[in-house]
This record gives sequence, C-alpha cells and structure tokens, in this order.
Amino acid sequence: MSTNLHPIEQEELMAYLDGELPADQAIAALSHLELCPECQTLASDFRGVSQELMAWEVESPEVGIPSKINAALGERLQKGEAAKVSSPRLKNRVMTSRWVWAGALAIVCVAVGLKLTLTSRNRNEDRSTAYPSMASIEQYLMPDRNAEIAMARSAAPEAISSDAKILVLGWRGYETAIEGKNGFVCMVERSWMSPFNSTEFWNPKVRGPLCFNPAAARSILPLTIKRTEMVLAGLSKAQMIDSIKAGFDNKKLPPPEPGAMCYMMSRAGYLNDAVGHYAPHLMFYFPLTDKASWGADLPDSPVTLNPQFQGGPEPITEFVITVGKWSDGTEAPVM
Amino acid sequence: MTSDETLMLEFQGGSRAAFEELFARYRKPLYGFFVRRLNNPERAEDLTQEAFLAVIRAASRWEPRALVRTYLCGIALNLLAAERRRLSTSSTLGQSAPEPKTEGAPERVLWVRQAMEKLDAPDREILMLREFEQLSYSDIAELLRIPVNTVRSRLFRSRLALKSYLRASAGQPHPGRRGMQ
Repeated sequence: MSTNLHPIEQEELMAYLDGELPADQAIAALSHLELCPECQTLASDFRGVSQELMAWEVESPEVGIPSKINAALGERLQKGEAAKVSSPRLKNRVMTSRWVWAGALAIVCVAVGLKLTLTSRNRNEDRSTAYPSMASIEQYLMPDRNAEIAMARSAAPEAISSDAKILVLGWRGYETAIEGKNGFVCMVERSWMSPFNSTEFWNPKVRGPLCFNPAAARSILPLTIKRTEMVLAGLSKAQMIDSIKAGFDNKKLPPPEPGAMCYMMSRAGYLNDAVGHYAPHLMFYFPLTDKASWGADLPDSPVTLNPQFQGGPEPITEFVITVGKWSDGTEAPVM
Repeated sequence: MTSDETLMLEFQGGSRAAFEELFARYRKPLYGFFVRRLNNPERAEDLTQEAFLAVIRAASRWEPRALVRTYLCGIALNLLAAERRRLSTSSTLGQSAPEPKTEGAPERVLWVRQAMEKLDAPDREILMLREFEQLSYSDIAELLRIPVNTVRSRLFRSRLALKSYLRASAGQPHPGRRGMQ
C-alpha cells in the first residue's frame, strides 16, 4: 500500500482498529476507510485474525474462592483491623497536645486563605486532575466538519444513522449539519457530559458519538444542548448545576420520555482516558430509578448503572448494556 | 459498575467484598492467561491462585497509577517467567516436561494454537496480550519494557504472519475448518 494513495499507513490502520489512534487521526482513518476498498480488505483481514483467535476459549475454572486464598485473605484483613484499632490511640495522644492544636489551627487558617485566593482566581479549576479547567474552545471542536458528521453517524448502524439528523459542535453550540427523516439525532458529545465530579470533565480529547432515538432526542438531547451552551458561555460548574436544577424545577427541562434510549456503537469514539473507546453499547434513560429494578451491577448481569446523571444534578437514571458488535457489524472484543 | 481501581482501593482499606468482586472478575481471565501459554490446566489453576495470593500480599503497595488489569498481567507475566524457568531446569535435570494437554480441545482451537506456535515467542506474547488480555499498546510496552512503536510494529508483523499461517492451514484438509472453507 503506497502512502501516496493512502493517507494512513497499514500499521496506523491496525492501530485505528485497535482504538489506539488519537481522536483526530482516528477520524481521518475512518473517513479514508469508508472510501478505500483496499484498506477495507486489510481491515477485514485484521478482524478475521481477531475472530479466529476468539475461537480459543478456555473453560471456566471452578467457582468460589479456594481455601488457600481465603486463608490469606482472612489473615490480611485481620492485620488491617489490628492496624485500625491501634490508630485511634495514637490519634488521641496527638490530639491532646495543645501545641498540635495550635499548629493545626495555623494550617487551617493558611489553607482557608489559600483556598479563597484560588477560588476567586478560577472558579472552575480543579488541581486534582490532569484537566483542571476548560481548555481553549478550539481543542473541543473538530476542524473537519465532514469527519464529525462521519463520526456522529458511526454511533449507530447505518440503517438508523443514514436517515438521522446530524448535529455538529460549533463555536456557539451544536448546529444542524444534516436534517433527518426518522426522528433519530446523531452527534458527538464532549467531555462536559461526564458527571460534574469526573476528573475528565474538561478532557478535550473526549469524543462520544451517539444516536438518540426520537424519545431521547426530545427529552435527553435538551440536556446536552443546555450543558454545552453553559460551558461555551463560561459558567462555573456550580452555576451550571444550579441552572440545571432550576431547569427541572421550573419544567423548562423535560423528564426522560418513556422509551428514551441511544446507540453508542462507534469504534471511533474516545469516551475517556480510562476506557478509551470502550465497547459498543446501548443506553436507556429513566426518571430516577432504583438500579435493582433492572438488576444492574449484579453478578453476571449485562446491565450496568451509568453514573453520568443519577441526580447529579439531572434526576435521571441511565442503564447501559454492552453489545457484541460495532455499528459496522464487526465483532467487538469481550469486555 | 464499580471500577477495578476503586475496588482495589476498597480492598486496601480492608473490604473483603471488594476482593471477592475482583476475584470474580479476574479469575477466568487469569486462568485463561496461564492455560493458553502453558497448555496445562492444573498448573494454570495453581498459578491463578498464586497470582491472587500475590495481590493479597502486595495490595498495600498497589498505586492507582496502574490499571488493575495491567497490574494483574504484570504479576501473571512474572509467575509465567518463573514457571518457564522451572520447566527449563526440570528438563535440564533430565525430567521430561509435561506434554501439552490437547485431549478434549476443539479442532478449531488446536488449529489456532498450532498457528500461534509458529510465531516468534516475543511477537506471540505481544499478540496474546493484545488479543486475549485486551491490553493497550502502552500497557504492553510498559510490561515488556519495550517502546510502544516496537509493540505496534511487532503486533502488525505477527497479525500478518498469523493470517498467512491460518490461510495455509485452511488449504489443508482439516475437520475443524469445514464451515469456513
């Protein structure tokens, strides 16, 4: 394969299929792959090898924790308890010293003063993360509009996304790139759709392609639009949370409609640093619901609770079910 | 779902339930790790238990900068290296190494395994860490102490080689390939 004809090397194509390319290169790879039969063949070969390897399954070993491990575990936990029991005595001794009290008071005063200074300087800054504050808007935008459209469409199987409305992120928020016919809306979410306490709330690498069904387009999409508007307007997290709460209180933001769900089956997405592009999955939205009602997070249950909203501040419960194939019909790795 | 890393932190804090959840999540993957590389279910089960014992013993030293999955693979690789040294010493001392157990394995698995055995050992290890343990290129690079680009190029080479071995095998009569010819 000549690089004159192909903008990506074969190794890069493989890295794309493995979800190892950064978002911008992944989009370029996806765009090229959709048009290049030669690369499609190569991609098919790589997938074929992976699928052949999947045949090499192993039988499950016996269930239950073996006695040897149980004994070691008991011993370790017992030691841990012993350490815990001894520490309060130490704490009591320390806290009775008036010099320690005086020192602690001084530290608290300094810390409060420092916190006030930092808070007034940048209300959004969180120094406990690699993404302490919002990056420049350019970093969240995708320079190639067609690439963003392709990525948005890749969220769902073509039979759904080809007739969906497509939104792309612009300087002033999401805008319609292509009108749809089937009521679905596909778009690429950014990091600020993470929980507000997420360390990656401002991660500019995040690209979350999804396709809302009509019920979700009416009741969940407004949240994405609202959060995005507030982010681009420079509101602090506290202001955004207050505004969302008020939106639900005064009914300007709707509750999830019955049947609201979305597809997230793109292999081109990048959901966060911890999971990369994760696995293809579907998400289902409800007013705040006990996760037990879906058997979510129980052993061997395919349903998990997504902490994306969960009352923080949106009164929405979101369940996730992973599926075995990407939107292009190819097998996904078992998670 | 609670992340592996949160569970590990909870276990460090003394939670038995957190360990039990980690055990439930990783028992089969670790067993698969060993059984695919050693072809010996009994030793694979022993080494799986050894890996969890190592987790228990070293839990206090784990730091959340590494994914639990990668951390466990690191432990498993160390145990595997020790096992191979032991097997090698046994052979040197005149004891015959146990034959790989193949009875009961589906034809298709044997066929894939034979193709894998034709790969160079370092390339095979990288391919297995990627395909079965689902590690990222950078995690593999860190575990094997090689550059990420080397991981990528070797992975590329091994996949192409495996494809050709599988194709070559597909040309030969093989009952396990009936449905794919």
